[in-house]
Amino acid sequence: MSGVVRVFAEYDRDVHESCDVLVVGSGPAGAVVAHEAAAAGKDVVLIEEGPPFTPDDFVLDGSLSMARTMREGGLRTTRGGFFMPTMQAIALGGGSLVNSAICVRSPDFTLDAWCEQYRLRRTTRADLDPHYQAIEDFLGITPTPDDVQGPRNLLFRDGCTKLGFSSEPIARNVRGCVGSGECFTGCRTRAKQSVDISYVPAAVKNGARVLTSVQVQQVLTSGRRALGVVGQVVRPYTGEASFKVRVDAKVVVLAAGCMATPVLLQKSGDLANASGQVGENLQFHPGVALMGVFPDRTHPQFGATQGYQSLHFLRQGFKLETLWAPPGVLAVRLPGFGFDLKQNLARFPYSAIWDAISSCNRSLGRVRARRGTMDPALTYSVHPDDVKIMGEAMWVLAQIFFAAGATSVLPGVHRMPDEMFSLAEAEVLRKPDLRASDLTCGGNHVFSTTRMHGDAQQGVVDEMGRCHDTENLYVVDTGILPRSPSVNPMLTAMALAHRSAGEITHRA
Amino acid sequence: MVVAMLLLVLILLLAVGAYRLLAGYPRPPLVLHALTAREYATVRAAALASYPPGGAIAPSGLEAGIPAHVDRFVAAQQPATRLLMRLLFVLVEHASLVFPAPGRGGFRRFSALDEAQQVAYLRGWQRSALLPRRLVFVSLRAILTMGYFGDPGVLRALGLAPRRVATPVCEADLLWPPVGRPRAAIRHRAEDVRPFPPAVPLGVEGPLHPDYEERTA
Repeated sequence: MSGVVRVFAEYDRDVHESCDVLVVGSGPAGAVVAHEAAAAGKDVVLIEEGPPFTPDDFVLDGSLSMARTMREGGLRTTRGGFFMPTMQAIALGGGSLVNSAICVRSPDFTLDAWCEQYRLRRTTRADLDPHYQAIEDFLGITPTPDDVQGPRNLLFRDGCTKLGFSSEPIARNVRGCVGSGECFTGCRTRAKQSVDISYVPAAVKNGARVLTSVQVQQVLTSGRRALGVVGQVVRPYTGEASFKVRVDAKVVVLAAGCMATPVLLQKSGDLANASGQVGENLQFHPGVALMGVFPDRTHPQFGATQGYQSLHFLRQGFKLETLWAPPGVLAVRLPGFGFDLKQNLARFPYSAIWDAISSCNRSLGRVRARRGTMDPALTYSVHPDDVKIMGEAMWVLAQIFFAAGATSVLPGVHRMPDEMFSLAEAEVLRKPDLRASDLTCGGNHVFSTTRMHGDAQQGVVDEMGRCHDTENLYVVDTGILPRSPSVNPMLTAMALAHRSAGEITHRA
Repeated sequence: MVVAMLLLVLILLLAVGAYRLLAGYPRPPLVLHALTAREYATVRAAALASYPPGGAIAPSGLEAGIPAHVDRFVAAQQPATRLLMRLLFVLVEHASLVFPAPGRGGFRRFSALDEAQQVAYLRGWQRSALLPRRLVFVSLRAILTMGYFGDPGVLRALGLAPRRVATPVCEADLLWPPVGRPRAAIRHRAEDVRPFPPAVPLGVEGPLHPDYEERTA
């Protein structure tokens, strides 16, 4: 049995459908639920606001790619205490289309802390490992092989080895990577197993119906039950609305993303919010990056986009990674102006860029609906203790750079030298008066805005992702993580969604 | 009499303000999709100040086509984001009233300043102790820099131009048409789907992506 796929060009009237399981959002978590429910024989509808992208639609120009594949043209930022760019994809496959395919299991100490602090009883290592394994098997997740690492990833390994820091090749949902370094603009080689070419087609094969270019605007309810959703067909890229859409369902699953799901609940009459936690507890992994300059060419555009990592400092609150992205995006952090800037850009072929993502568990924000749009208002501030952790992470990165043979490091931090030529100079990175406003951060791992909690007064969903207030409404995106997963969140969100899918299927 | 004088002063101020905001901008040398002539002048001046001719990378901001790229980038945004970008350009153009460039005539609008003043003016934003000013600078430079790297010539000069790669057909290619097209536009058939060939890592010597090859006149 094969399902139906609908794209923008084929809508010619209002849409009214019904199903057993309705999934809103086709990102990694939503796609897993859609596939598992369809495979179990349920009648599934999967709704996605963005269009499907084919390799013909990918553009290699970083800014134009962002304008097409990201909400708010890739220019979304947090406000309030801390100004930080943050992106959310608008495409079939969600973030998996434009991320670097990193798949890491959350460490034991994080899961233990979740269970203890959030009164969770079934989210231990032993509980989640079978679900992690199922996702890893389905997507063929394996460590990045050396032959596609490229010099910039291997230099990171060498630096860590010299310093005695553990490091390892990053496990990714990739088959046959050639190291084009183009993960962020869409994989032209079809090597990345983003869910638009893996889980969603599998769901369609099992009969799921996929409605793309549909923006869900409200969840319909009656008493403590969700009835379905209403929304509109929207034109790709412009968001121009046309036909109305209504889908009735026995079970409604929200997987619209940590920044969109709270807005949808708030716009649905403050749904599922008896706890007052919808949209609260917004957390990020703010990322800081340093550029190191080496004496020899590194050919940084060749090699896996993010091929090596170090989990050595996870307990201290940060994870280290290698990084590549469209040069225009990376260059935003570089110092200099005019001829000086050109001089710095000209060193790209001799450079490597490595980043640190920090757990920042003390730093919180909020998602609120804005009038007249489904885009969120994000407020966020960084706790001074977390700023110290980011400073420490930059200091460790500088050590690895110099150990790997870099001749200088460009930190891109306000009130600090543009370029540092020795470890002694770099030590200033962990100076105690470092301020959040000195840093240029990006935050693309987002979570906890509909957090799971064993106590219905303190969380939005239970351990299975079911809303405490509503019998048949589930949330499965990264919003349900009670706090930072310590590592990249995609695999954990997919594992939790895989677990939820069992109960969802049973309930439908 | 006093009222008449005040009115005259007010009218004069309004006239000067209107001239500063609206008048005296040259006609852009290209067809614009989103930018106005005023915004084009701001972007052009900022592109040249940020990426002057010569130096470590040959193309200037103008030769790299930054203004045209920014025009396309603004056109690709949804209305709310486009408005924010327009406000950014207006702010950069006219904030010289509050943060004047050094030297004579430093209060003129940004695009009318001398080249050296334009550089000094933007450096002032970059190094400001005020976070909002630095954020304005970072936002402007991000837009310009992405435009600079949108030029294939710049990427070729740095050896960063994308390489040609094979794009195998997978099962998903039988499901999704290109964006905006109906499913009838799907050009692949089931027989096009074959096992992926063994992956061969890209090398420095590989041919460039066709869009990034050097064009000969």
